[in-house]
Amino acid sequence: MTTLEHPTNQHYDLDPRVFGLFLDESRKYSSGWYLTPDDSLETAQRQKMSMVADLIHATSRSRVLDIGSGWGALVLHLAGVRGCDVTGISPAPRQRDFVEKRARQRGLSSRVRIVTSPFEEAADLPRGLDAVTALGSVVHMPDLPAVFAKARGLLRRDGRMYVSESCFRNQAIRARFDRVDGTDFVREAIFGNGELRPLSELVAAAEDTGFSVETTVDLTRHYHRTIEQWIENVQANAAALNRIQPGIAAQLEHYLDVSNAGWGYTTKHYALVLRNAR
Amino acid sequence: MTASLDQITDTVRTIVADVLSVPADELSTDTDLRDVEGADSIKVLRLIARIEREYDIELEDEDVFGVSTIADVADVVRKAL
Repeated sequence: MTTLEHPTNQHYDLDPRVFGLFLDESRKYSSGWYLTPDDSLETAQRQKMSMVADLIHATSRSRVLDIGSGWGALVLHLAGVRGCDVTGISPAPRQRDFVEKRARQRGLSSRVRIVTSPFEEAADLPRGLDAVTALGSVVHMPDLPAVFAKARGLLRRDGRMYVSESCFRNQAIRARFDRVDGTDFVREAIFGNGELRPLSELVAAAEDTGFSVETTVDLTRHYHRTIEQWIENVQANAAALNRIQPGIAAQLEHYLDVSNAGWGYTTKHYALVLRNAR
Repeated sequence: MTASLDQITDTVRTIVADVLSVPADELSTDTDLRDVEGADSIKVLRLIARIEREYDIELEDEDVFGVSTIADVADVVRKAL
């Protein structure tokens, strides 16, 4: 996530209306979960949020922090569907306004709080949490061990962290592709200072922090289908997108296309559930 | 029936022409795919993906990232069948 204070990622700095024209209604900007390839984007995103809620054992007594909360899809889902008390953190002020408005409209204001700050620098976060979630956000954070240590410090004993991330497929692929043009494009234009790591590095950082690894989920094919559906939306809404910013539809399509070409070859998308326990 | 190398080469040429948007008859079997006008590493990856789907195979990384001509691609496909 980039921000007005941290203008590192040209992609997230696009006019917010752009995202409303290719994401689903919840504006969830991460992989869905498809029970069948024909599932709609909305259905897949709802299924995914339900899966995340299950993996962190979310109940109406749960207190959760969502790192990189974006336009609040997961925050509002956990508060509205599971009855959790949720704090979202994102560096982008206009995302906070958007989420808080939706929370008010849904009568969820008492269970939703948005903090505007980079996670690494935030000082006043709740502690003793039941769960921390980070969907595609640690890629923007260079010091992964520090992020995991901070997240673990916010969890109660036996609390869980769900982290999903785009990864190089293995160390050899990383060594081969970390400095080629296509990767630079993906890293700079798409992930904005992103640090793609192989899964083994995420696992090593989690272990070294003191987490137990409870679950690993391969989301790669689900993300491929998600991006296909985003591309369909870009094509269907090309005229409206180009009215906001001339030429943006073709740029977006190229950018999503490049992301989708590498899945399975150079990149994977994994979720990890980490447990603050021996 | 096992496809002959010639049949595989023709299929590969058709897919390369489609993905790189060039006429098939302008593609010789020893053209370096990355030198074709408008080609880039993403398009080469995409055409490998198309070929893998077409033949229901998964090529080794060394082949995916190592092939440079239509003849190379046809050769690794034949070995994978």
